[in-house]
Amino acid sequence: MKILIVEDEQGLRENMLTYLSEDNNICESCATLADAIAKLASYNYDFVLLDIGLPDGEGFELLNFLKKEIRGEAVIIISARNSLDDRLKGLNIGADDYLVKPFHLAELKARIVAVFRRKSTNSNNNLVFNEIVVNLIGRTVFINDVEIILTRKEYDMLLYFIANKGKVIAKTALAEHLWGDEMDMHDNFDFLYSHIKNLRKKILDVTSNDYLKSIYGIGYKFTDR
Amino acid sequence: MKLAAHYNKVNIIVTLSVLLIGAVIYFFAIDKITNNRLDEELGEEVSEVITYVHHNQRLPKQFDIDENQVEFVKTNTLNSKPRYFDTTYVNPRKSGDKSGRSFEGGLNFKGDNYRFRIIISSESTVYLKQIISGITLALMLVLLTILSLANRYMINDLWKPFFGLLAHMKAFNVSESNSFTLINNKVDEFTDLDNAIAEMSSRVKSDFLNLKQFTENASHEMLTPLAVITSKLDTLIQDETLKKEHFDQIQDIYGAAGKLSRLNQSLLLLVKIENNLITDNGNLQLHQLINDKLRQFQELSAGKEIRIYAEIGGKEVLVSKYLLDILLNNLLSNAIRHNHSKGNINIYLTDEKLTIQNSGLTSPLNRKSIFDRFQKGSNSEGAGLGLTIVKNICNVYGWDMQYSFVNSLHTFSITF
Repeated sequence: MKILIVEDEQGLRENMLTYLSEDNNICESCATLADAIAKLASYNYDFVLLDIGLPDGEGFELLNFLKKEIRGEAVIIISARNSLDDRLKGLNIGADDYLVKPFHLAELKARIVAVFRRKSTNSNNNLVFNEIVVNLIGRTVFINDVEIILTRKEYDMLLYFIANKGKVIAKTALAEHLWGDEMDMHDNFDFLYSHIKNLRKKILDVTSNDYLKSIYGIGYKFTDR
Repeated sequence: MKLAAHYNKVNIIVTLSVLLIGAVIYFFAIDKITNNRLDEELGEEVSEVITYVHHNQRLPKQFDIDENQVEFVKTNTLNSKPRYFDTTYVNPRKSGDKSGRSFEGGLNFKGDNYRFRIIISSESTVYLKQIISGITLALMLVLLTILSLANRYMINDLWKPFFGLLAHMKAFNVSESNSFTLINNKVDEFTDLDNAIAEMSSRVKSDFLNLKQFTENASHEMLTPLAVITSKLDTLIQDETLKKEHFDQIQDIYGAAGKLSRLNQSLLLLVKIENNLITDNGNLQLHQLINDKLRQFQELSAGKEIRIYAEIGGKEVLVSKYLLDILLNNLLSNAIRHNHSKGNINIYLTDEKLTIQNSGLTSPLNRKSIFDRFQKGSNSEGAGLGLTIVKNICNVYGWDMQYSFVNSLHTFSITF
């Protein structure tokens, strides 16, 4: 995947770049609207991560540019503004998702994967990780062709893990992903633990590979290495 | 007191006192003048009587001198001072006492001293005085009525633009973009006032806009560094050489960053609510939303083995879905979070009232400060803004939010 990151805050830009520059992704970044438009005028990307508040203008202009040129880039807006107006405006001009700062990089990755899957029309609807096959349309999961029944939360968690495979995911990131919109968890991870435990158990019932690794007190890693 | 009433009060006091003083002066003046006239008449009578006495060398009989009554009394002393005075007398031709004016003087006749008294009728002058007083009184009454009527019409009409302005100002909403419309007016003062208000409102609006922009910018400026912190941590934990102690530290930083960002978002939300910036109102089925929420929170409550009893009747409300969501989230998550395990939550919804009760601390919370900003329970991990937000949302819709401690249950009730 070719990803263009448009973000004026250097620290954030660099971290996004490092985090996303794996899995055969090619990432480029720039800090201003003018640079972004220049880059988009010369190259094609699969993805644009777009900050709204840029030093030389609003990110919406870039969306207008893409719309005018009838380009196929998927766009995720990254903004500190959590107003409904901005969100609707962005989505109306053609953004595919809207992520409010501050966010976890794992969340960004999961959103990118989700938007990418939604956008690619040709693909089969299966997400495969070794012997785990997730059917995205039926929301079913097969391991070694045996179906395992997951709850909604466990299913969401599995998708999140697969999207961030090989990365350490902070438990705060995971909790926010699973409950963020619904309730304030206030650093209470008891519920998370029980979901993780159940998911791991369900996977281990069918396969001997324990992909889900606990990393000290900080979080989890889903990896086959 | 209304403007018209004030106006009338001053007017009536001033007019009444001026008229009363005037009437008194008027009365005495007329009294004086008529008395003088009568006294002149009496003087003529006196000289007539004296001339008669000297000419005829005898005292006049009653019938000799017109209708006036004359009496002579023989006295030993010479009556020194002649005097005029008001008196009453009996007129033989008319019944009853009549008011009259009388003269008393002394007369020396044939060596004898006589005191004599002449009374003439003052009835016509009394009548005159009565008529004049009547007319004056009537005039006063008419004047007062006309004045108060005139005042009322004048105030209603003349001050009409003022009341228009007042209505405008009452309807003024700083977050609305429509500008202040001027009222056309002939009165310079009102035009001035109108202009001043228009200018003020536009200034307030631009200040408000600036403030709004400031809040937005501040949030942006605060959230971006937070995003940097979070992303740095996300990158940092990928390092496989880190030890457990480091991870513990990092977890704390995560917690603090998360808290900061929630705090920031709560403050921004409060600003928005207080300025009525959230206006996506719609008719919502409250009972349905509560049931949805209960389902959502089931996991949380089940984790603490909390028993939830719900008695939910139908209720439709016209509110913002976004705000109602936050309100229910805050109330229910409080009820769960501040509960002990195996505790209770009771939820009642009727047409007038939503009540949420939960067990928890065995002593009541401070009812006065519970809704204040940054007031939180001793073992609360929140920012202390949850209930403030709930209260403010209630204020937006004119609902009454109350806390009470009933049967050792913390009870939050919203009266619609």
